[in-house]
Amino acid sequence: MADDAILKLLVPATLPAARDATERLMALGQRFDEINRALYETAVMEWLVNIVKHSYVPADGGSIRLVAQAGPQELHLVIEDRGRGLSAKQFEAAASQIHFDPQVIADLPDSGMGLAILKSVMDSLLYEQQQGINRLIAVKRWSG
Amino acid sequence: MVLEDQVEGEYLVVCLRERRLDAVIAAGFREAMLERIELGQHKIVLDLSSVGFLDSSGLGAVVAVLKHLGQRGCLYLCGVTPAVMAVLRLTRMDRVFRTFPTRAAALAA
Repeated sequence: MADDAILKLLVPATLPAARDATERLMALGQRFDEINRALYETAVMEWLVNIVKHSYVPADGGSIRLVAQAGPQELHLVIEDRGRGLSAKQFEAAASQIHFDPQVIADLPDSGMGLAILKSVMDSLLYEQQQGINRLIAVKRWSG
Repeated sequence: MVLEDQVEGEYLVVCLRERRLDAVIAAGFREAMLERIELGQHKIVLDLSSVGFLDSSGLGAVVAVLKHLGQRGCLYLCGVTPAVMAVLRLTRMDRVFRTFPTRAAALAA
């Protein structure tokens, strides 16, 4: 994939569409190594699932817009939706590190890990709400 | 979603024949596994050798199975691919689950 290759997608806010979008997006992720490609795909899926489950009221017919650009050093991704979104405070809280004691099975988290994964994987993450649009700008370098 | 069961001694080996364990199938996977536990299967080896993608919903479903088992039994993971292991490590769940390269290794544990 050449530098500056761009992929633009407008997909319905459903789980199958989120899965399909992440798979299509990875056409631009060929320059990641195997592990970073897997983690990147997981991170993007986390945000899309978050939109589907929490930003839009179920079955209200919302959509998600993705614009990805492969640059010489990094993959730049913008994801937008017009649902309720998260406040900046909610975003920061949800994206905090996952804490648990591996020895205490009853207390292990079985939800709420998605945004922490997103934050851990991306090199740069910006979330903003403007004029009814929730926008995530995520950057990940090809290496490092 | 395709789950294949095989009884090996006191263990139930469940092989998930899907490329992805993600939000699309996580709820169904969780319910299917809990049903097996309720039917009395408390020593389970989960074969993930077909799974090349794991997200937090899928991981949460596997954690839910482990929590449901509690002290009654065990849940081993085998055939964990590099992509799945990367997510386990990122979330520190590699410290929670016993993982084995093969089904035979898990059954010999």
